[in-house]
Amino acid sequence: MKAIWRFRELSTLAILAFEIAFFTWYLWPGEGRPHPFLNAANALLVLKYSSIYGIAAVGAAIVIICGGIDLAPGAIIALSGVVAGGLFVGGHWSLASSAAAGLLAATACGLLSAALIVVAGLPPFIATLGVMGIARGVAFIITEGRYFDVSSALPPGWRVAGIPLDWTSPILMIGLAIVFQVLMTRFQWGRAIFAIGGNAVAARFSGVSVGLVRASVYLVSAALAGVSGIALTVVQGQGKADLAMGYELDIIASAVVGGASLSGGRGSVIGAVLGTLIFGVLRNALPQVPGATFYDRLIVGLVVIAIVVMDQLLQRRKGANA
Amino acid sequence: MEADAVAFQHIDKSFGAVTALKDVTFAVMPHECHAIVGENGAGKSTLLNILAGSLRPDRGQLALGGVPVALTSPRDALSRGIGLVHQEMLAFPNLTVAANIFAGREIRNRFGMLREADMHARSRALLERMRLPISPDAYVETLRPAHRQLLQVARALAFDCRLLALDEPTTSLTGAETDHLFDILEDLRRNGVTILYVSHRLPEVFRLCHRITVLRDGRFVDTFERESVSRDDIVRAMVGRSIPPRPPGQRPIAGEEPRLRVSNLSRRDSIEDVSLSVARGEVVGVFGLVGSGRTELLETIAGIQQPDRGTIAVDGLPVRARSPRAAARAGVVLVPEDRQREGLCFNLSLRHNLVLPAAATRGTFLIRGSELEESDALVRTWRIAAPSTAITPDRLSGGNQQKIVVAKWLALSPRVLLLDEPTKGVDVAAKYEIHGIVLELAARGTSVLLVSSDLPEVLTLSDRVLVMREGRIRGELAAGADEEQVMRLATTAPGEAA
Repeated sequence: MKAIWRFRELSTLAILAFEIAFFTWYLWPGEGRPHPFLNAANALLVLKYSSIYGIAAVGAAIVIICGGIDLAPGAIIALSGVVAGGLFVGGHWSLASSAAAGLLAATACGLLSAALIVVAGLPPFIATLGVMGIARGVAFIITEGRYFDVSSALPPGWRVAGIPLDWTSPILMIGLAIVFQVLMTRFQWGRAIFAIGGNAVAARFSGVSVGLVRASVYLVSAALAGVSGIALTVVQGQGKADLAMGYELDIIASAVVGGASLSGGRGSVIGAVLGTLIFGVLRNALPQVPGATFYDRLIVGLVVIAIVVMDQLLQRRKGANA
Repeated sequence: MEADAVAFQHIDKSFGAVTALKDVTFAVMPHECHAIVGENGAGKSTLLNILAGSLRPDRGQLALGGVPVALTSPRDALSRGIGLVHQEMLAFPNLTVAANIFAGREIRNRFGMLREADMHARSRALLERMRLPISPDAYVETLRPAHRQLLQVARALAFDCRLLALDEPTTSLTGAETDHLFDILEDLRRNGVTILYVSHRLPEVFRLCHRITVLRDGRFVDTFERESVSRDDIVRAMVGRSIPPRPPGQRPIAGEEPRLRVSNLSRRDSIEDVSLSVARGEVVGVFGLVGSGRTELLETIAGIQQPDRGTIAVDGLPVRARSPRAAARAGVVLVPEDRQREGLCFNLSLRHNLVLPAAATRGTFLIRGSELEESDALVRTWRIAAPSTAITPDRLSGGNQQKIVVAKWLALSPRVLLLDEPTKGVDVAAKYEIHGIVLELAARGTSVLLVSSDLPEVLTLSDRVLVMREGRIRGELAAGADEEQVMRLATTAPGEAA
């Protein structure tokens, strides 16, 4: 609890390192040719695409540590992208105010989830399943099947505060991960989230405002999904209602691979981001493996199970030694 | 004269149709140690929950230091200096000791960051003051139950608590640990803390408390001064009548092969070299504190856990029960301790709950036409107060739920009945009815192995009492042994003179 880094994050990092080493070896090119996997451009590509998952996974980890679940991020990514893209392209708003509006739409979804869970007392699974449908539905209504081509509306060579566009979302992901890791380990808010996930009744008796903290967790998760949606729209250049389909499960899987326990009270934000990188590398490298084309989903599934089972075995071993 | 630390004034509280508290009025003086005693279901826990701000009374009010207050939440109660140590060990297993102590009231710097070093140092000082040999960095899931319990006291002490309420704090403590807790409490009282102590262990209450308030069926009976009351008076006030002792009707057993014979049973970390036998129609009590291995012993005999060594035989035939189902086929059934979690399926009707073991062990999963009659017959035989067998168990009182749990196993006509805390959390009337069922079964030839932390219950029902401590059987006492003999065997720590 004292250190920001813990053993569990290091083991996720080790898996990531092993994975990179494996593909570096397996995809080693012939004499004189450039490495297809291990090169700076490819690394940036992995970071760029992983960051869309990674930013949302920060929120997913927080929700899971609090003992909840959020199924809405995928749909919220699409909604915030569509809102921001629509206002920027169709409404000729400035990029900053379009992004703010997209973020606002995402936060409204979070507010709805929080109200359904905390005020109405719905199970998080059902509440966020409903919000997922609503967010996706609103995204389709707004676009009516069109897509908003953000990239052609942007000036060529456009930069955010002097940073090349490709770099913005990885930097955003790393920055948000650090901020929330510190909030989770060094601030009362984070401690309250761990406490609620560990024992909600005891948290209430300890004077934790359980309802408020739980509400804040869904708000944060939705807002981060909103950030991720805006990043996706700007990076991929378009706002579309069917973006990020099924991302919510990949995001949850990343958080779990990164050490979050679905029974609550355990996990880390950094771990979840490392989890998205593990998947990002897989998604990037597998298509380059000859003959693996039809196997990549299967392999991703097996990797999730393998990592979680390994973690359980290690936990049990540790428990037996204690 | 100083105002009362707490005054309960005409407190009423009901849950649906069940009245938990009715017109409860009494006061706790400042700096005293005040006990609240009563049978299970007397309303003690409800009263404490009202004091801790987690329940609001339907009527009546609470006054703290003479000032009427309406507590809105546990947070509100804490900020008014009321600390509650719960009966169930409410802790955060996933957090460290220091994080547990300061949970909800973390020390922060002016930027809102946690001051881990301060909390660590203050936790260390607090643990030293309480002479608790645990590290502030240890994760609570690695602590022994007794230490987790004492940690609750530490949590209450970490903030400025003027009124400390404890709900059955010694259920999982050994004798030495209880002494330790009492030293801490006495120390606190001298430093001006008012203590409200809820327990049904009368020897402890008499040792620690100055005044004793008795609740019965949700009503205030009386407040007694320790000096002017005897233990029997308190028991009479708690029960509302005197309990006739069970006639020592020993059943003849000699010369027969015991029905259940357990030899040298061991299981890593829970039971060690346990041998015992139960004759036909005999009731053998097993007494031990939480963590003594008593539940694990029953679960091993019932096939839920696998022994590492040792044998189990029923009527001379060895049983190699690898599952509760196999054990039930051999005639051994377990009525588990936690009826909410292990005993009943709350989504199923009483009828389906009642016929489940029979259907599962016979291997017939087909719904049979006879299940209606079978379940109705069970409800009639065991006098379960249910309007119909089509309702779900949550509509029944705790006592009747417990009778359903017992009855569903009795449908198998077991040869050996293992009972784990059969009357935990049931009202007095249901308790006597369950005792009646046990004795009736024994009279019909069923062998019963009874685990209970209710010592008077063990002593009234059993023909013999085995005492467990730290996984081993430490002694055997005949019927009519007194409570002190049993407690001494159950609590003497290793190394202490027996």
